[in-house]
Amino acid sequence: MAHDKINECVILKNLYYSVPDNTWVRVNDDGTVTIGMTDVAQSLAGPILHAKAKGVGVAREKGKPIATVESGKWVGPVKSPVTGEIVEVNEEVAKDARMLNKSPYNKGWILKMKPTNLQTDLADLLTGDAAVEAYRAKITQDGVTCTHIEGSDEY
Amino acid sequence: MADLEGKKILVIQTHGVDTPTRTYSPIYYAVAAAAMEMEVMIWFTMNGTNQLKKGEAEKVSLVPESGVTLRSMLDMALDNEVQLRVCQQSLTLWNMVPDDLIDGVQILGATSIIDLALSYDHVMYF
Repeated sequence: MAHDKINECVILKNLYYSVPDNTWVRVNDDGTVTIGMTDVAQSLAGPILHAKAKGVGVAREKGKPIATVESGKWVGPVKSPVTGEIVEVNEEVAKDARMLNKSPYNKGWILKMKPTNLQTDLADLLTGDAAVEAYRAKITQDGVTCTHIEGSDEY
Repeated sequence: MADLEGKKILVIQTHGVDTPTRTYSPIYYAVAAAAMEMEVMIWFTMNGTNQLKKGEAEKVSLVPESGVTLRSMLDMALDNEVQLRVCQQSLTLWNMVPDDLIDGVQILGATSIIDLALSYDHVMYF
């Protein structure tokens, strides 16, 4: 899969990113989107202890929390990058929050939503080279180096 | 997760830089509540006041290699829109004046805490 690495932080080019909120969106064939947190986010949080997502059926506006994530040194919301309704929550992450550290773009997805204004919302996100360059600027400015615990996905 | 949006939590912190292990958790809980979309205030009084003096919270680090300090915890609270308030009367206890406070902290008088305690859904004391 096409990707780039900046200070060990992996950015997949086929995803859409909210760079300020460190979330990603994958557009699925069935009209839903999958949402997760980025490699940068999991690195900043450190080993994640708990993740709690809002439930299936909950409607959320873009920018509102869809989950909370806790590590030993950080706690915060995962803000929705799109407006829509939650249709599926990743129970594997609920059982083992370290999945967010090990596989932020694959097994560690947080939830799926059925978006209501997808094209409008996607226009506010970055993908491809634009996303990579935005992350390059952010990672450099913030002095971030990504870290990967044992068992993490390899790129 | 139940939708707790709009609930109000007041955290009262009476512990300060002299007892580092009693400083982090109240802030952590406050930020967690904010992340769950609650309205959260931390009220600093008694010894809790001294961590708000410029330059003091930076010195408190429970796990030095983590890069986390009491100051970064306070900043995390501010970033998550947790309201930080300090008891006016307790400033005198530490020979502090308003200009000594870190940015983002507002001063309230003792009667305000009574009003707040009655108006919040829950109060947590530390």
